[in-house]
Amino acid sequence: MSEFVLQADDVAIHYGGVKAVDGVSLTLTRGQIRGLIGPNGAGKSTVIDAITGRVRLTRGSVRLGGQDVSALGATQRRMRGLSRSFQRTSIFGQMPVRRQVELASHKMGVADSGADADAVLKELDLLPLADAIAEDLGYGEQRRLDLALALVGRPSVLLLDEPMAGLSVQESHDLARHLKALTARWDVSVLLVEHDMDVVFGISDVVTVFELGRVIASGEPAAVRADPRVREAYLGSAA
Amino acid sequence: MSISRIFSLCAAALVAGLALTLAVSSGTVLSLLTQATIYAIFASGVGLLLRQNGMASFGHATFFGASGYVIGILLQLKAVPAEAAIALAILGITGFAFLLGLVIVRVPGIAFGMLTLAVGQMFFLTANRSRGLTGGADGMNVEWPATLLGFSISEIVQPAHMFGLCWAVLVLCLGAVALLLRGRFGAITEAVRDNEERARFIGIRTLLPRAALFALSAGITSVAGTLTALNTGFVSPESLHWSVSGVALMMVIVGGYKALWGPALGAIVYFLAKDILGDYASHWMAIFGVALITVIVFSPTGLAGALGRLVRGKKAKGRPRAATTARTASTTQAPAMQAGSSAQVSKAAQAVH
Repeated sequence: MSEFVLQADDVAIHYGGVKAVDGVSLTLTRGQIRGLIGPNGAGKSTVIDAITGRVRLTRGSVRLGGQDVSALGATQRRMRGLSRSFQRTSIFGQMPVRRQVELASHKMGVADSGADADAVLKELDLLPLADAIAEDLGYGEQRRLDLALALVGRPSVLLLDEPMAGLSVQESHDLARHLKALTARWDVSVLLVEHDMDVVFGISDVVTVFELGRVIASGEPAAVRADPRVREAYLGSAA
Repeated sequence: MSISRIFSLCAAALVAGLALTLAVSSGTVLSLLTQATIYAIFASGVGLLLRQNGMASFGHATFFGASGYVIGILLQLKAVPAEAAIALAILGITGFAFLLGLVIVRVPGIAFGMLTLAVGQMFFLTANRSRGLTGGADGMNVEWPATLLGFSISEIVQPAHMFGLCWAVLVLCLGAVALLLRGRFGAITEAVRDNEERARFIGIRTLLPRAALFALSAGITSVAGTLTALNTGFVSPESLHWSVSGVALMMVIVGGYKALWGPALGAIVYFLAKDILGDYASHWMAIFGVALITVIVFSPTGLAGALGRLVRGKKAKGRPRAATTARTASTTQAPAMQAGSSAQVSKAAQAVH
């Protein structure tokens, strides 16, 4: 068993001549939250797509719990505990909340999918809305439903693509606190792509900074924040 | 909807059908009701595809007409007993639709509609041209034997019996579909319809459920075709024509496809309105077209949706969003609300009568 729950090694995604991601290596240890930041177009979402199998790797490998999953499809990786949320809320609009979360849990092979769904809904404060139709929910509730679909079946790794996008400051801080508590309690490792710097530096154990498809800095939040290259490339105007 | 509710609604519908059979003595009215009920089954098949898969088919007449042809040809060749011919027609068409579905449900939106249209017209032309087997444009008689499942054919085709049979088949089809959709298959097809990519990410293989749904919808349509062959003893290429598919789709839209019983309601309204208009019916399509536009503009969920809103009207007042309702409804309130809504249903039902 590898010490890393997730290990992406020298991952590259090229679209013709465009190098969206070019030789990125990342790791996640058990229960770790890694923040992933960088300017728009730096390749953050593409890395998530690559790790989850939504796009094909040009080069490199992805290992999950020590096993190479590079050749597996997105569904198979999900079955092995690699889960993700989407930048644009991706839920089943006309289905009741519980019905879709229960279905997702069943599809993950959970024997008691009803109990699993209820546990996840309870964790995300969605239980009172269990019978509501998803598209009738408020935006923040829909974001949490999206997260609930990713959390059923207790994944070992969760890749979150801007989970706070569009939320109010209060809502995103609540969600951040929620996430932090959840990862600790459920022992899930998180790769968090997010634009809200307060959130990223607030809850991440380690932070990785991207620019133009490459890693320019990686380490503990304080060290990354102090890194002159990071300040110049990305935080420059904000810091 | 709970299982017991589905069963009790089906039982109530069967009793209502029986009562109607006994109450109506006019053969003409019964024949009209029979035709409406057969098209209600047809429209339910088309509506199921739209409701559960989000796909509009312009080619379901293929399955409607083909069942008559399959039975007609098998009986003409004296290849199998009539009961087996019926089973072969329905199962064969369902199986064929599944294979066809594996290919065409991959195609999204309007292109899917065009493909169903093309396949449908192909069968229409084939039936029209192959005179030897199908009688070509003249159509062919379906030579039913003297008895079917132990009942004499002349008894079965009596207007009252025929209507009772068709009504029972309609109710059983809808009941079976409601039970099926309540379970896992329903949840999977809803997920695929709502968000195919996310469905794939939660581990659903999306092609098979959609093809299966297409087959189920075709199977129900072929049941309607079988009943037509029994009712008229005749099948012609007109039953395969795309305009028949179009009419079925219009019934679905007018009735409303969000409710399972909506398409059936649309079909019944279609035939009754056409009959009531009587002599003006030569302009029938123009009239129905206006009705179609009215429904699409004012109630996109059709007559069923409008009726549903009427029934829920009181309940929804002061609670603009379903989410709010769910949040405020405690477990003790819930049974009271259900009791209230069923009382409203019966009130609305009285208003309709």
